[in-house]
Amino acid sequence: MSVPPLKLGFAGEADARSIARTFKEPSWLVDERVAGAGLVASQPAETNQLFTTYLDLRTVRFGAIQPYAQTGLAEGARDASRLPAGAAAILHIEEDQVVAQAMRDDAWAAGVVVDTFENVLLSRPGLIRSVIEGGRSLPDNDPFAQVARAAATVGVLVHVPAGVELDGPIVLRWGVGAAGRGLIGRTVISIGERAHAKVLEEQVASGAGRSAPVDSSTDRQSLWWGTTEIDLARGATLDFSGEQDFGDETVAFVNRHATLGRDATLRWALASVGAGFFRSRIDNRLVGQGSSVRQVEIGFGDRAQLFDLTSYTTHIGEDTTGDLLSKGVFLDRARGYFKGLISIERSAIGTDSFLGEFAMLLTRKARSVAVPSLEIDQPNVRRAAHSSSVGPIDEGQIFYLMSRGLSRDAARKAIVLGFLEPVVARIPLPEAQAGLRALLEAKWPAPGAAAVADKAAA
Amino acid sequence: MTQTAKPVVNDRRAEYAFHDDLIYLHEAKRGLTRATVEEISALKNEPDWMLQFRLRAYEHFLKRPMPMWTDGLDKIDFDKIVYYRKPSEREERSWDDVPDQIKDTFERLGIPEAERKFLSGVGAQYDSEVVYHSVKEELSKLGVVFMGTDQALIEYPDLFRKYFGTIVPPEDNKFSALNSAVWSGGSFVYVPPGVDVPLPLQAYFRINGENTGQFERTLIIVDEGASVHYIEGCTAPIYATESLHVAVVEVIALPRSKVRYTTIQNWSNDVYNLVTKRAHAYEDSNVEWIDANTGSRKTVKYPSIYLRGRGANADIISVAVGGKGQHQDTGAKAIHLAPDTTSRIVSKSISKDGGRVSYRGHLKVAPGATGVVASVRCDALMLDDMSRSDTYPYIDIQEDDTTMTHEATVGRISADQIFYLMSRGLTENEAQNLIVQGFLEVFTKELPMEYAIEFNRLVKMEMEGALG
Repeated sequence: MSVPPLKLGFAGEADARSIARTFKEPSWLVDERVAGAGLVASQPAETNQLFTTYLDLRTVRFGAIQPYAQTGLAEGARDASRLPAGAAAILHIEEDQVVAQAMRDDAWAAGVVVDTFENVLLSRPGLIRSVIEGGRSLPDNDPFAQVARAAATVGVLVHVPAGVELDGPIVLRWGVGAAGRGLIGRTVISIGERAHAKVLEEQVASGAGRSAPVDSSTDRQSLWWGTTEIDLARGATLDFSGEQDFGDETVAFVNRHATLGRDATLRWALASVGAGFFRSRIDNRLVGQGSSVRQVEIGFGDRAQLFDLTSYTTHIGEDTTGDLLSKGVFLDRARGYFKGLISIERSAIGTDSFLGEFAMLLTRKARSVAVPSLEIDQPNVRRAAHSSSVGPIDEGQIFYLMSRGLSRDAARKAIVLGFLEPVVARIPLPEAQAGLRALLEAKWPAPGAAAVADKAAA
Repeated sequence: MTQTAKPVVNDRRAEYAFHDDLIYLHEAKRGLTRATVEEISALKNEPDWMLQFRLRAYEHFLKRPMPMWTDGLDKIDFDKIVYYRKPSEREERSWDDVPDQIKDTFERLGIPEAERKFLSGVGAQYDSEVVYHSVKEELSKLGVVFMGTDQALIEYPDLFRKYFGTIVPPEDNKFSALNSAVWSGGSFVYVPPGVDVPLPLQAYFRINGENTGQFERTLIIVDEGASVHYIEGCTAPIYATESLHVAVVEVIALPRSKVRYTTIQNWSNDVYNLVTKRAHAYEDSNVEWIDANTGSRKTVKYPSIYLRGRGANADIISVAVGGKGQHQDTGAKAIHLAPDTTSRIVSKSISKDGGRVSYRGHLKVAPGATGVVASVRCDALMLDDMSRSDTYPYIDIQEDDTTMTHEATVGRISADQIFYLMSRGLTENEAQNLIVQGFLEVFTKELPMEYAIEFNRLVKMEMEGALG
């Protein structure tokens, strides 16, 4: 089965050049954009033959979406009062405006950068160039990633210099939802040697998105398309948490790509609740000896939501560790596609790699697909394994909780939320953690609806 | 505990690789055209519907692109293949009538011996036609049919037409289309209601003749409440240029029946072995594929079971050994289409000497298939760091009360295990052999004893010198 290239109307070479002109970008960045556009046009939307069956873009109306051509700074955005309690910095972009930008003084003093490409290109272009030039911070075989490379109209750089241990997370918040509009961005995160940082990314419905009337017509779709491009130097540590709660009419595409240097540590905690269609691909490249990645990802879908979640983990250096866990809960007609590929290259002696994909289907029309793949060229491993399961809620557990006085519905809910808790527990800001917990609880159908679902399943 | 020097590879395969210079009574020209297909059909005096079936398949074969999800198939040169050859004029019923030269080949394969011992019947395929066939008298009395597929088309036209091509239609994939266009030979089995075939039915398949394609077609129908065990094993002489084996096997397990289909595939390392094997399992039936692949240059084969009736059970054990220059792209598929069906897939693979083994599997629970219980287990051993092991499982669940578990591990034999066995007096090679045999035991224990011995011998042969 061959998949055609993406047909978008906003990530061609002419678009790329036009955007670069708007921002008066240096020639190396123009070359980046043009190269990206070329890779979008020349490749099928899914280049990995393993996964072609499970790419379903039928609900996405690219033709009805016009991405913003540029992004501006809203009045009063640069205000220290915008900084959430406990955070080290915030950059909040809503539709085509930066609406909040602030940083704690100590972070500022330590040389931490949280700013748009536009500003950084004027002051310290090398910080961006050293991470992204030549397309090294994105998978070249993924046209979705290349769309952002070609056509992003906002870029965010997070830089934590060597040796800095930053207390409190850097908050990146994105809001979209205006009908027919889209925001395409890139986020580059570079963490210096032995530095330690936390990033919390929140993807939410914008004011426009929230106030939009519920309407089933397809031209209400809005789009978010972005990247997270991470470069961890020797001994660096990054905790990255992501919460995705876009509105129902939003379609979203995200590529997250991390390159880990020697003894670097990356911990992902990612939760997806919103968006009608959500595609995510994560690439972990364990290049440095002794580097390690831990990734926990959950998806909770209802109605007709489709979560298309792919993760590639490539072990290159010696004694690297990969520990990946994906969990999904699906209601109504929601679908989850969990695609994973662990590659252990010949050089990766002493690898320890595990990939787990677990799903709970709560209604008969829900669907879960898991493709947990392994490609192994080096047998001298500590571990190379994957595990996957799909099952209904354990009746024994329900019985136990009911014997403790919970109603059947409350018991089911407690079990499902407990299943997802490992990600929730790792969200860094107490407020954000409570927010995610509330989001997941809200997703649980009212007791009456659950009883109906239960009956349908019986 | 020092090791004396020993050959790195002690390949005794040549002992089994013999080639007789036969005079073929009829040999089709190389290459595939519409005329080739018409010629094959005419030579076999087939009814018109079969000719039409072949032509439909041929048209589809031309249109269908080469699969891209596995590599190396583009090396097959379809124009170099001889699509039909017939070594003797008619199907033989008595051993005495079999031409001496062919008989000699079978003697070396040990067929008559095996038959004397315990086999119920023998259908041996020598190149493209069934030349020898016997069914024990008591089985004939029970109404069991075991004959060449070509012959069955003539003798049981109604039964044949009712089921042929219904499990694997020509349009299923490029190679099922090719087989449907040029098929020749293979086994036809029918077991009437309630009949329990007490001993395994065995067919030996061989390829002989350089660049001969072998396109056997097997159809097994097991009626209600009946049971049968069918065994096939393969050997082939070694040639320098590519050979092609493209088979289709269709199994129909009617309600409450039991079918076990066992394969030991040991084609020589120049053969492309591209096989579509599929069973339909009806109410409360039980279907098992026991499938081992040690030979061939490239095997692409995923024995499949479509669970169509309530309560049906599927069991697939898949074993693959991939050595130098080999790629075993094998696996299993269980498609749950009915409620309360169960399936179990166990895959064991070994890669060594730069070989590659890929497990590819599909587990699907379709809407309506409630109460499914399914499990998949894939284990891979890599004996050196020149080799490669892949696992590609597809798990697609569309019912909320499914219970599915999947596990996979890849690794090498631990030094601790080897050390322990060596401390008990085994050589390094013996220790490794023992561990490998234990690893594959889930498969060997399902084989009839004589096959198990033969298979263990084969594995031992493959392993010799693997530690270097």
